[in-house]
Amino acid sequence: MKKITVSFTLNGDQVEAEVPSTWNLLRTLREYFEITGPKEGCGVGECGACTVLIDGKAVNSCIYPVAEVEGKTVTTIEGLAGEDGTLHPLQKAFLENNGVQCGFCTSGMIMSAKALLDENPDPDEDEIRTSLSGNLCRCTGYVQIVESVQKAAEMMKDKS
Amino acid sequence: MIDYEYLKPKDLEEVFSLLKSYGERAVLIAGGTDVMVNIRNKKLAPEALISLRGLEDLAYVKKGEDGYHIGALATHRMLETSSLVQSELSALYDGASQVGSVQIRNVATVGGNICNAAPSADTASPLLALDAVAVLRGPGGSRKVPLTEFFTGPSQTVRASDEVLVEFEIPSEMGQFGSAYHKHSRRKAMDLPILGVAVSLKIEGEIIRDARIALSVAAPTPMRAMEAEAYLKGKKLSDDVLIEAGKIAANEASPRDSLRGKAWYRKEMIETFVPRMAHKALERLKNR
Amino acid sequence: MSEYLYVGKNIPRTAEVDKVTGRAIYINDLKRPGMLYGKIKYSEYAHARIKHIDTSKAKKLPGVRAVITGYDIPDVRVGFLRDQTVLKKDKVRQFRDEVAAVAAISPEIAEEACDLIEVEYEELPGLFDPFEAMKEDAPLIHEVDARGRPIRTNILPLPWKFEAGDIEEGRKASAYIVKDSVETTWVNQCCMGTSGCIAEFDMNNNLTLYNQANVIFWDKRRIMEYFAQIGLKDSKVRIVNPIVGGSFGTKLDTDIYEFIAIQLALKTRRPVKILFTREEEFFALPPRQPAIFEIEQGCDKDGKLTFRWAKAILDNGAYTSWGATTPSVMMMPMSSLYRVPNVYFEAKCVYTNNIYCQAMRGYGNPQATFAVETSMDHLAEEAGIDPAELRLINCNHSGDVTPMRLKITSCGLEECIKGVKEKLDWDKKRGKRNGRGVGMASLIHVAGGARVYKSDGHGMIIKVDEHGHVDVMSGGTDQGQGSPTALAQIIAEALGFRPDDINLVFGDTAFGLWDAGTHASRHTFIAGNAALEACAKVKRQILELAVVELPKLIKHQIKRQKRKDPDFKEPDLDFSLIANPEDLDIRDRIVFSKKDPENPYFRTEVSNILREALHVGTGKSHVVVAEAFYDPPTEMLDREFKGNLSCTYAFGTTGVEVEVDEKTGEVKILQLYAAHDVGKAINPTLIKGQIYGAGYIGVGYGLTEEMKLEKGRVMNPNFLDYKMLTAKDNIPVTPMIIETDEKDGPYGAKGIGEPGLVPTAPAIANAVYDAIGVRINDLPITPEKVLKALKEKRKEK
Repeated sequence: MKKITVSFTLNGDQVEAEVPSTWNLLRTLREYFEITGPKEGCGVGECGACTVLIDGKAVNSCIYPVAEVEGKTVTTIEGLAGEDGTLHPLQKAFLENNGVQCGFCTSGMIMSAKALLDENPDPDEDEIRTSLSGNLCRCTGYVQIVESVQKAAEMMKDKS
Repeated sequence: MIDYEYLKPKDLEEVFSLLKSYGERAVLIAGGTDVMVNIRNKKLAPEALISLRGLEDLAYVKKGEDGYHIGALATHRMLETSSLVQSELSALYDGASQVGSVQIRNVATVGGNICNAAPSADTASPLLALDAVAVLRGPGGSRKVPLTEFFTGPSQTVRASDEVLVEFEIPSEMGQFGSAYHKHSRRKAMDLPILGVAVSLKIEGEIIRDARIALSVAAPTPMRAMEAEAYLKGKKLSDDVLIEAGKIAANEASPRDSLRGKAWYRKEMIETFVPRMAHKALERLKNR
Repeated sequence: MSEYLYVGKNIPRTAEVDKVTGRAIYINDLKRPGMLYGKIKYSEYAHARIKHIDTSKAKKLPGVRAVITGYDIPDVRVGFLRDQTVLKKDKVRQFRDEVAAVAAISPEIAEEACDLIEVEYEELPGLFDPFEAMKEDAPLIHEVDARGRPIRTNILPLPWKFEAGDIEEGRKASAYIVKDSVETTWVNQCCMGTSGCIAEFDMNNNLTLYNQANVIFWDKRRIMEYFAQIGLKDSKVRIVNPIVGGSFGTKLDTDIYEFIAIQLALKTRRPVKILFTREEEFFALPPRQPAIFEIEQGCDKDGKLTFRWAKAILDNGAYTSWGATTPSVMMMPMSSLYRVPNVYFEAKCVYTNNIYCQAMRGYGNPQATFAVETSMDHLAEEAGIDPAELRLINCNHSGDVTPMRLKITSCGLEECIKGVKEKLDWDKKRGKRNGRGVGMASLIHVAGGARVYKSDGHGMIIKVDEHGHVDVMSGGTDQGQGSPTALAQIIAEALGFRPDDINLVFGDTAFGLWDAGTHASRHTFIAGNAALEACAKVKRQILELAVVELPKLIKHQIKRQKRKDPDFKEPDLDFSLIANPEDLDIRDRIVFSKKDPENPYFRTEVSNILREALHVGTGKSHVVVAEAFYDPPTEMLDREFKGNLSCTYAFGTTGVEVEVDEKTGEVKILQLYAAHDVGKAINPTLIKGQIYGAGYIGVGYGLTEEMKLEKGRVMNPNFLDYKMLTAKDNIPVTPMIIETDEKDGPYGAKGIGEPGLVPTAPAIANAVYDAIGVRINDLPITPEKVLKALKEKRKEK
């Protein structure tokens, strides 16, 4: 097995990993760093359960070669809550508006929503739906997820 | 078991030298949204992946006096969010903005989409309808290939194994065309087209001065419907004329029956969407 | 009603905070020390004789710890009709047939080892059409049954036949009769979390199986039965659920991969995990059963239904799981959706070399309701009656006993139909045939348990400790529907605590009492009723202790106050007001006197009482715990498939407005109203979540979803080609919650897990007909089908 070493910022920490060069980012996060938030729902970029942010942009970590995160900043759902455990407005809103059911898509869904709100604090429904269109969910029919994102946007506006 | 080296050259010269030493055993990877999937699905088993992501200066969209230039490493998201593409190369905006999902568009590149040469590539028809020319660079220099001559079959192109696609050039004249692309699919995201139709039109008063019609999933490669284009040229604009153009285009196409759609249906959709996209292109031209 | 503190309120799902922080542990995340990874070698043919299996190369691969075939494990038949073995060694009958399995130190090595297993086959002709398979001279897919007796037909020996009244009398009384052919296809449950399990034995051969089963006690029983046949009859079995990433029916049966993991764990003496890929999820899990119906209905000149006759052919696939029992649920809409006096229904399940089938949300009801409700629309047209009116004329009502002997208690169907009609502006919009149309369909479903097993009970243990923490051990399972919140609301309300105080533990056979499982929309109703019983007992215990401890606490308090303030005047307290448990109550954690509720001396936190009762220092200390087992007063279906199998029934109506693009055949949903009689909404936000989610799957069933099979092979085993809808598809679903206050339900609630899905597809089909005058009677309603039908209609003209 050919190996590579990559260093990057993971949820605020400078980290380094030596992993097989064939590994994707998702596998590195889950197996090397033992992070459980990003999930493999399909492994081929079709469901979005593995969504993380790289330099602030949402990507499918399951088809992102780990070699390419060198020097970049990776944020997973684990990096969202404050150090004191305070939930991010998105996390709060998902719990309050039933944006979560089985929860398997939730980590990825919230990360897609985070990428959107960071770029566009006041999105309309269509923009939210576009941003979440790569995150499949079988439980919710998406309605309460969209509502959760809208509520989170409101919370974040009130704060700032 | 799959095992490969992941190579990260810093410039084109290094890419060429790696291509030379690895030859057929290496695969170029840009965004990787196709390559990584093909490796997982065991359709590819390279010994090395040569990453083009180090060539950051190939990720651009710009307009010069000699026309529009789109770097091969421009991501779909860059095209989608470029106001230049939105307003002057609208069909390309339509195509780029409907590929996969935001996550895919954030990394997938237009060069990759074209080099992958799927009949269903969503940027292929728009680029064809915009008269795009592919710029290939190899160790011996550059050459320019009109996109109409670029595809040679499903997943096959004229790109030589030691060449890299670096840019698309679109003549500045195309800025005077109105253009639109329709991706006909079952879902509004995360889908491939059952059929794609791109139309660009130049109009003077009521007269169609020039037209391009490009089709995806209508033949083994993305194609131009040149007979239909010729028919439109010089005609006075009317619904009947556009409907007729759709019929001609449908006749030029040779779609097949597949899991994703039947040939007869694809032909019908060409008939339906050539006029609809023509109207949309004209509408855009008016609102410019 | 309004005095409830928590019932009826939109309590957030704070109990599931782990799901929004990435900390929830699903089977995908679960690891055990020393764990190996199992992979399965599947058949390469839909139907073939296995001539030879060579595992030698696989065994030599470094990192491989075990390779097993049907020759390495006991020849034990499993499944509902015991028609398959865990690993197949003589014959394969479908592409998903498990031929061999590997355990290795990594999933990649296990997969590579599977590739190295060489299997030689002799291909046999395949049967992929149930009608072909039913022919007398058709080759037999199974030669012998579970007892070794020869089988002479591919038709399963299942007696699905229902008769009530007299069909011929019904025909005679009819002024109008319609007959239709209707077809539904395979659809996948598409749980976002893929299937998997970890099997782990201790040195006494006791098994802990971490899996996603939604009927953990049946799962245990099936494994115990298997153990009895493989020489492990003294082994104990414990089933433990991690967090479940969606179920939708897939976890109702014990799947073959679970037996394989068990065999690999036995062989290696190490924990073995099998986790499906998405592709396996599509081709190696049993989907919803396809059905082909012929249905005939009649009504008299006033529109009163006279009879309903239907025959169904179900493509069973190669083996039998719960899919083959869906006709028992189909009988419910067939016999009891609307008042119909004379009913005949029969269903044949037929072996083919296609993928075999299982349960999916609605369990046969969506297929049958598609047949009944599209036929109702046809009948309305034939009789010249507005389709909504026809439904109202024949509407079910409270007090009805249906031909299946279902006793209709609360029934909001009329309200649902009328509500949807009004919201859609039905009278104005219907019948225009201008590319826009409206349509509706209704449903009946079990909503107060479903006695498909001899016990439909649920056991719950509730304890309250001296910190005021309420731990609840439920025998049920949670699949994400929101039970940790909804049940906490019921328990908090009944016990006088706050939802945050309640800690629910699900899905562990070691801690829970029997539960017939989270399926059939039964969990809130059955577990809720068990909770009420357990709460009543626990509360009584607390109040009995309070009678003893409260006066002591009050005296302590007065003493303390006196010590602090010598001038303190002792209050004049009437201790008779707190002398009996009946005098006391609990609300918001506080024990108080009912007769003097505001008296601060008579108010104290429950934890104070329990602390006093525990730390007494005399050998007479107390803890508070109670168990309740609720089994609803219902009956099994008898030999004629009649009987009141549920305590109450759900009703609902979906109404849609569609726009059809007559040039492309595309159907766009402009509005979708889903009105549901939920009894009482324990948590309206959660209820809406069920309606939205089920409605969306229903729209997929109606318009986009289908597993495409070619000669038995699933051709679209991925999310790209299996068209589950995305957020961008934006279906405008509006739930309408109708409350009928079911007398037997916990706080009046009924089940709502499945209903939202059931009437969606037929409502869409009926709206499409209203829009363009073309009936698409086979699902899904694809643009190609619509366009083709439109062309044919134009040709006819």
